[in-house]
Amino acid sequence: MNTKPFLQLDRVIHEKGRLPILSLLAASPELSFTDLRGLLNMTDGNLSMHIKTLREAGLVSVTKSFQRRRPLTTCALTPAGRKAFAAYIDLLEEIVRQARPKQ
Amino acid sequence: MRNNWAEENLHVIRVLMECSAIYRRALAPVMGVVGVTGLAAGALGAAMNLETPRLFIGYWVAVALVCLTQAFFIIRRQALKQLEPFWTPPARRVAQALAPAFFAGLVMGIVFWLVNPAEPLTLLLLVPVWMILYGLALHAAGFFMPRGFRLFGWGFIVCGLAVAAYLICVSRPDISLPNVPFANLGMGAFFGGAHTAYGLYLHFTEKRPDVA
Repeated sequence: MNTKPFLQLDRVIHEKGRLPILSLLAASPELSFTDLRGLLNMTDGNLSMHIKTLREAGLVSVTKSFQRRRPLTTCALTPAGRKAFAAYIDLLEEIVRQARPKQ
Repeated sequence: MRNNWAEENLHVIRVLMECSAIYRRALAPVMGVVGVTGLAAGALGAAMNLETPRLFIGYWVAVALVCLTQAFFIIRRQALKQLEPFWTPPARRVAQALAPAFFAGLVMGIVFWLVNPAEPLTLLLLVPVWMILYGLALHAAGFFMPRGFRLFGWGFIVCGLAVAAYLICVSRPDISLPNVPFANLGMGAFFGGAHTAYGLYLHFTEKRPDVA
């Protein structure tokens, strides 16, 4: 089996906690911190930590604003994040394709 | 072995992307319109003095169909406005989640309509049965919705059980049961009132797409 695609997987994305965050953000222009927390059943600390990692990797942008006088933190995929996520999915598909028995 | 986790990851990604897609639909207008319709239907049902079981059942099945049609058109309009397809995989999943309990509610209505019970208690028990089934439907669909939606479903289940327990407990000859016109008010209050309240809550808390 060709292990090249497996080795090319982005380690920042390929993590149990961060992959779901990116999956949700990939299908939505932006999501608030509360939305992400509710959808993923994550604790504040855990989610903050993953978002920080994704932000530092340049995959996610974080905007802080106010909505009805309440602080609102929203997250969105950056263009680089969208590209990296698409590349990650391509690699997963490649791995699945390679593992399928040839007809 | 390696392809299993890759397939699993792809599946998780697909489910979460669908989950995110359905989450963006604004529920406040749906809940508000359905709630006001329910309240109006409850008042109208009581005013028209729908006394016979068959009239009561037929009337509320018709109201439910009107509410479903309203919800359909509001969600369809939202999808058109956002230049998105209406019948997406997430929408299909939600419809599939709602279908079994809605079907059970319709069948229960038909059974009660055919039996045409003379005892008020028997007919009145249909109200909590519908509430519980509706709550189950919402909870099942809530898998792809905000957490509040599932809690809303739980609210119907708990209230339905409480109403059922009340009706069973008071079914003694010395205590008079609420009559059928009163049941119309109950239906209006439980379904219409709850939806209106939830619609208002969502209206003030739901995130607008244009808010940064």
